[in-house]
Amino acid sequence: MIFKENATLQEKLAILADGAKYDVACTSSGVSRKGRKGEIGNTSASGICHSFSADGRCISLLKILFTNECIYNCKYCVNRCSNDIPRATFTPEEVCTLTMEFYRRNYIEGLFLSSGIVESPDHTMELICQTLHALRTIYRFNGYIHCKAIPGTSPELVEEAGWYADRMSVNLEFPTAKGLRELAPNKTRETILTPMQQIQNGVRESRELLGMKGGNQSAYWYTQKRLGRALPGDTEKEKLLREKDKDRKKVINKGTSEEKSPERQKAAFTGVNGTALTRIKKRDISRGFVPSGQSTQMIIGATGESDYEIMAVTEALYQNFDLKRVFYSAFINVNQDSTLPAVDGQPPLRREHRLYQADFLLRYYGFRAADLLSESRPFFNTYLDPKCDWALGHLEQFPVEVTKADYQTLLKVPGIGTKSASRIVKARRTGMLDYQSLKAMGVVMKRAVYFITCHGKMMYSFLKIDEDYITRNLLENDRDVMKGFGEKVTYKQLSLFDDNGDMRAFS
Amino acid sequence: MDIERTVQIYRCEDTVDGILSAIYEAGISGYGHDYIRIEPIRMDSPANLSLFAEYIDVETEQEKAEKVIRAVYEKISARAYTYLMYAAAADAPDRGDALYQFLVHGFSMGDRVCDAFSILSVKRVFELKRAVGNESHYSREFMRFKEVSREPRLMLATFEPTHRVLPMVMEHFRDRFPGEWFIIYDKHHLEAGFHTAEDELEIRLLTTEEAERLEALSEKEEDYVALWKTFFHAIAIEERKNEKLQRNHMPLHYRTYVTEFIE
Ligand code: SF4
Repeated sequence: MIFKENATLQEKLAILADGAKYDVACTSSGVSRKGRKGEIGNTSASGICHSFSADGRCISLLKILFTNECIYNCKYCVNRCSNDIPRATFTPEEVCTLTMEFYRRNYIEGLFLSSGIVESPDHTMELICQTLHALRTIYRFNGYIHCKAIPGTSPELVEEAGWYADRMSVNLEFPTAKGLRELAPNKTRETILTPMQQIQNGVRESRELLGMKGGNQSAYWYTQKRLGRALPGDTEKEKLLREKDKDRKKVINKGTSEEKSPERQKAAFTGVNGTALTRIKKRDISRGFVPSGQSTQMIIGATGESDYEIMAVTEALYQNFDLKRVFYSAFINVNQDSTLPAVDGQPPLRREHRLYQADFLLRYYGFRAADLLSESRPFFNTYLDPKCDWALGHLEQFPVEVTKADYQTLLKVPGIGTKSASRIVKARRTGMLDYQSLKAMGVVMKRAVYFITCHGKMMYSFLKIDEDYITRNLLENDRDVMKGFGEKVTYKQLSLFDDNGDMRAFS
Repeated sequence: MDIERTVQIYRCEDTVDGILSAIYEAGISGYGHDYIRIEPIRMDSPANLSLFAEYIDVETEQEKAEKVIRAVYEKISARAYTYLMYAAAADAPDRGDALYQFLVHGFSMGDRVCDAFSILSVKRVFELKRAVGNESHYSREFMRFKEVSREPRLMLATFEPTHRVLPMVMEHFRDRFPGEWFIIYDKHHLEAGFHTAEDELEIRLLTTEEAERLEALSEKEEDYVALWKTFFHAIAIEERKNEKLQRNHMPLHYRTYVTEFIE
């Protein structure tokens, strides 16, 4: 192992940012907190990006590891103990100074602190807590903090971190326990789901205690509520009362096919009993406990799961663990490990992109995993976004008459989003609606035209509601489906597609 | 038989208060709404005098502006107020006209005016509000401060916005840095916001000398710039490299004052 003794701050930063870059979450959203006298910083509910790195990903937080030393040997990870790479460790003061000085210059929205595991999970978590404690109380930082809960940490330390952090995350790593066993031999489902459940309970208690300041609800929660469905965190009884739809339970319980569903796994162990928050009397609780909620991440394409399995797990995570976000990370074989799939050239970025789009449909639009995919069609179409793909499979529900359709029906139209749908509903109360004003409301006409009528008329009389016709046009007009996502789709491939007329051949 | 009336053109200063003052004057004139135009005087375009119009030059007065604001807030809605303030800050010669018509509808429709996309002036005001909102959002994201003095610490940021978003941007940073001295310099409108450690705030137009002094202050800062660039490069994943996507999110013209893109 190469130890960098006396490394300069700059060298450490280079190593410890590099080691943190595979964590995808860089959002600073989910909590709105005003500035305070005598402190520095505030947070904005919608999050603020500060830059975009050369890979096009947003930079919002100073995303670093506390140390890249690690006693574990996860096969997919660049920091695993068997790798011969330069190692470095920050001091808490260094992390605090970097955060403060970057923040003052408006480079960042806050800190994302993760770490390799030194000595033990508890020891590592203690270092993280020390750092966050100093940042909040000595440096008086009131901006955004995201920190990891290291799997296997004792509940006291998870709670301690939660009083400093705005968001916490425990990475699920793989959709199935089997994948985890094979690739992360030192981690188990239980050491991951236990802190997740503890944080969930903590956020709930904090919310009951402090109101919305203690932690606001997720987009998924609001969507389920709007649609009168079971809410995240509902008990079984509440679920039955709220939800009349019986099919739903089947979907949740299906989870992954080869093992117990996350729902059942969750029931299999209780995690922390009783109250999750025991330090409430001794800590500054004015920010609430993890007020921006928790997130997780799954690596995509290292193990053999289908998109359907991944979306079912995602749905269960939103429903049962009340997560704010699930992130997907296209697998990159950084270690050239022969037991892992060789990804020649590009990581599966398009697949990752489709998963994010589908995730959006779950959280904001009220789609369910089973609406989008099925056992017989377990993968997303690479060429069409999941909503267009869904609409093409359900043409009997179109065209939608924009002067009459309700909000939820409007949401299902490709090219109409949450904002434009609510603008349409409101505009109807003030008078006439026409295609001109739809555009101003933010409707993406080049997609929507195939699926809507306005006062009984389609925008152009030659438009046809026909699967092949619409597919061809969507692909023609919408080259940006491919924009920015690595793999170059040649015209030849597209015309090949034209020839055999079955887009599914390519997914 | 209808007699064509002469159009009245209210000429005003090309600022938020200028536009609001003109709206006030036009509003109390009692002249038919359809025959009123509001025209900010712009340095970059020569006056476009019309023979068949009556010109009225409006003096900018904060009192008039405040009367308009209060009326909109109280008689229409808080939302309409936001529309008004954002659209008035836009860099668009037609904003006074659009706002005037928007308010005429607003005083009869109430808050619903903000949803009435089929009315042309409402649509236009909405577009302007969105453009200004976007720019003030981008400015908050991509603004970069430099430490131009240590004891006491003074931070300075420079930007060149199209619209007059400085007040919104100042508000944001004031809440964020309540105990810091900082200056934000709008190089396009030669305007600056000053904030003291006692949380006092002032926004005003600069004289040429003042602007020059600010320019001279913004020399290079080394240490944290180097550290930030190190981070910026280390955080990108080589296998995912995609400059086109980076450009989509952060167009080149936003990068002029952004530390990590300055050589
Ligand atoms: S625990 Fe595993 S994933 Fe985390 S740093 Fe160590 S080797 Fe990497």
